[in-house]
Amino acid sequence: MTTHFVVDTATLTGRSLKHITRSPDTIITTAFMPIAIMLLFVYVLGGAIETGSETGRAYIDYMLPGILLITVAMGISYTGYRLFTDLRSGIFDRFHSMPISRSSALWAHVLTSLVANVISVAIVVGVALLMGFRTGASLLDWLAVAGILAVFVLALTWVAVIAGLSASSIEGATVFSYPLIFLPFISSAFVPTESMPGPVRWFAEHQPVTPIVNTLRDLFAQQPVGDDIWVALAWCVGILVGAYLTAIVIYRRTIT
Amino acid sequence: MTSVNTLGALTHRNILKSLRNPDIVVFATAAPVAFALLFAFVFGSAMEMNGSAYREYLLVGILAQTMLMTSTNTGIGLAMDNKQGMMDRFRSLPVRPVAVVTARANSDLVMNLIVIVLLTLVGLAMGWRIRTGPLEAAAGFGLLLLFAYALSWVSAWIGLKVRSPEVLSNVSMLILLPLAFISTAFVPTEGMPAPLRIAAEWNPVSAVVTGVRELFGNVPDAAPISNVLPLQYPVIAGVVWSLLLLLIFVPLATRSYVNSHIR
Repeated sequence: MTTHFVVDTATLTGRSLKHITRSPDTIITTAFMPIAIMLLFVYVLGGAIETGSETGRAYIDYMLPGILLITVAMGISYTGYRLFTDLRSGIFDRFHSMPISRSSALWAHVLTSLVANVISVAIVVGVALLMGFRTGASLLDWLAVAGILAVFVLALTWVAVIAGLSASSIEGATVFSYPLIFLPFISSAFVPTESMPGPVRWFAEHQPVTPIVNTLRDLFAQQPVGDDIWVALAWCVGILVGAYLTAIVIYRRTIT
Repeated sequence: MTSVNTLGALTHRNILKSLRNPDIVVFATAAPVAFALLFAFVFGSAMEMNGSAYREYLLVGILAQTMLMTSTNTGIGLAMDNKQGMMDRFRSLPVRPVAVVTARANSDLVMNLIVIVLLTLVGLAMGWRIRTGPLEAAAGFGLLLLFAYALSWVSAWIGLKVRSPEVLSNVSMLILLPLAFISTAFVPTEGMPAPLRIAAEWNPVSAVVTGVRELFGNVPDAAPISNVLPLQYPVIAGVVWSLLLLLIFVPLATRSYVNSHIR
């Protein structure tokens, strides 16, 4: 049964990935907005923002972790969209009439999202390097960054799956990502939370993006990550488990 | 029917259309309010100016950015009328070409006035204040509306050329967002790299924003004196830019309207 699931998931993931290679504009548009935000903040606003970081450290080094999370949040809206169009086109009904593992159709979309987001994030990091981003992070640090981002992508992708399964229109399948895109702005992604007024600061310090951003920033800067990494992982795993279970329940209702 | 009556009737039609579609005002106000809150209470607190000074600096920038963004409604409205065959109806009536486009620009001016009032109330709630007398304040709002009116004519010309509301919306954003941000609307030019600083200093938005700040008394205390002509005399520069845009785009938009049925 496990082999069955793995083979089916691999086959369906291959199918979904073909959609992406045939319309690479989804990856380009996913990367375009974060790059535009990065250009705006580094070259226009960055000169006026005090981050309190040590002198000589470029603002792009400070803000890149937040930009990576925005890239992911933008990327997963396409997962909701792709899943919704598959459901509406009736392809899921065809899959269910075949001897295919039920959940592999969902996992295919999730893994496709992971691959697409890896490419988008790589493009954004490439542009950041051209803009002056520098890090002395070791291979182990980079692997930790990749791991945290992967868990974050998986967590948000399952949120996208919920939206894709329960939406009644294309707009509904993608609109859920707007708050997720906006969340990094009210966090430590662009400015330190210490500078924010009371209620805003409280919100910024107690939402999932801040510990993730702080962890990524510390890993890039070769600083000790402290408790932030555990808080970040707790948020990611919590969202992942909650969203996964909810998505499976909705999926079972949808296909019966 | 006189030209004035025709213009009045067409303007009235457009205003009614907008008022029956209140999401235009809601969307025109919601995004700037979100921007204002985000920049004032999140980014503003980390700006080199202190929080309250930055809030005063920011709000005029938000007003100008909103005028930029809402100017697209003129072009979109004309493109929609074109698409729905309304322009052909107007052409069959004894209506002067300039009246159709002017009516659209005038009705959007009224909508801009509503948006400015709403944003001003939000600004006052955020702690922004006008530090000058009523005459200077009126002149400040007047300059903003003059600039908005000029931009409406630019948008009208593009709308009559492009003729697709969707394309116009996307093209406008590509032009307007850099115009709004590469200016003195959100931050002073001192922190920008040299090429961007030059672009920002000669950007008409910068002249208008700096001019309105002067008229409202919202110029930061430590603001350095600019050595660029438009920012040395920003009120005059703002008026000149606006009149220049009107001088160029009123005839262009009118000609585009006349020629649009030939294509």
